[in-house]
Amino acid sequence: MRVVVQAARPSSHRTQHVRARPLLGTIVEIAASGPSAVTAVERAFDAVTEVHRLMSYHDPESELSVLNREAAFGRVTVSSHTWTVLKTAQVLAKKTGGLFDITVAPALTSLGYLPRRTDFPRASGHGDWRHVELSPGFGVRFTRRVRIDLGGIAKGYAVDRAVEVLEEHGISTASVNAGGDLRVLGRDQRAVYVRRPSAPSELWPLIQITTGAAATSADYFRLRRWCGRRVTPLIHPRSRKPCPSGRSVTVLARDCMIADALTKVVHADPAEAGATLAAHSACALIVEETEGVCRFSVFDAADGRRWRETELLPVPAGQKVAG
Amino acid sequence: MKYESWYWLPALAAPLVISMPGAYAVTYLTVEQAQQALFPGASEFSRLDIELTARQKKAIEERADVRVRNTKPAIWRVAAEGRQLGWFLVDRVLGKHEFITYAVALDTQGAVRGVEILEYRETHGGAVRKARWRAQFVGKGAEDRLELGRGIVNIAGATLSCKHVTEGIRRLIATFEEVLK
Repeated sequence: MRVVVQAARPSSHRTQHVRARPLLGTIVEIAASGPSAVTAVERAFDAVTEVHRLMSYHDPESELSVLNREAAFGRVTVSSHTWTVLKTAQVLAKKTGGLFDITVAPALTSLGYLPRRTDFPRASGHGDWRHVELSPGFGVRFTRRVRIDLGGIAKGYAVDRAVEVLEEHGISTASVNAGGDLRVLGRDQRAVYVRRPSAPSELWPLIQITTGAAATSADYFRLRRWCGRRVTPLIHPRSRKPCPSGRSVTVLARDCMIADALTKVVHADPAEAGATLAAHSACALIVEETEGVCRFSVFDAADGRRWRETELLPVPAGQKVAG
Repeated sequence: MKYESWYWLPALAAPLVISMPGAYAVTYLTVEQAQQALFPGASEFSRLDIELTARQKKAIEERADVRVRNTKPAIWRVAAEGRQLGWFLVDRVLGKHEFITYAVALDTQGAVRGVEILEYRETHGGAVRKARWRAQFVGKGAEDRLELGRGIVNIAGATLSCKHVTEGIRRLIATFEEVLK
């Protein structure tokens, strides 16, 4: 334990500029230290706001809404930001055989997670990621009437953009957290915590990172009742049904967009996700809780990049573990 | 990025997890700091003494489609050298899991100039739990570690919703329309 406690030491002695704003449907927190921190944080928020403006499903003016309205009827040109996210989504969809799919929007609408949009053409029931066609020059066309939502990936991209802007302003120690999509920069060791699925107010230290991204997807804040069942906003792309609930997935990767997207792949099918995790040199942790017993599955380099299960017992609250 | 640069915490590697019943809170800005951040250069912030009448309350609720619980909104008129720059409003929302204080800057026309979160607090737990939580980390550098755990900053949790903040902002805009305009 001593390692952890000591390692976490340096950062708080420096003055840190921290701000939080409601964006991307969550609370985005940006922290930076250094002489230009104030301006850098401001510009980083501008970058996040831009991603929000371009890729919001709710905003009828966003590029995403333009795509959903018009791309089924002809080529639409988008910004380089939207293009980058779409390209990453499509590459991942191809690699995973459709375990990552941005066309699950109609399923999310019918479960009440996304608003009904009357300005979009009626979605065809037979479209998937293969019917989103990207062409050179930032062109996008839907070959069937699909409806896309970038909720599973755009938040990670926004975090990456913010980090990019911070770096451009000469910031070397920073962190950006968009409601669970986290990326840190710098040499300081930081502990990252995850929430316990059945009791989200309980935090568990999960990992030490210096530079890198961690994204967690779970449903504990977003469960809904739908037709008498508890459902989650995590849709299995193949069946178009909600994934099993009560599971929390954390992925650690080079950048946050990939980490964010990979959490969805792991939720859909952990076994199949293994190859994709390995290809991105990513690590993952699944926490599942049934009747108070937590099951942990870890995917990392330690065991030849495959899933291994560990039984972990939480220390009863109040027990001293440090020192 | 070097992958050796991050590793599972010993707690996890050696099958053991420290559970932290976490009541955590973070203050980003005080009211005064937020005033300066949202209206840099403004010199006068005069707090208005407003109490919403039942009729105004109803009108705001209808306009914003959000309930009004606080009939004494915290509103400042902002000016620099006698010229009005806009309005500064502070409000708080209580979500399912969190308690958020935030500030909104409106220009003289009622358009949002900026939003800042002032304070974020998880509503679970409380002093007792917090004390217990702190007790887990007695020893060297414990304070630093607490610092790390207290913000939203290092929690890779599931998406926190800002639905209530969004609704709150709508309520404040409606308050402007009904009371300040």
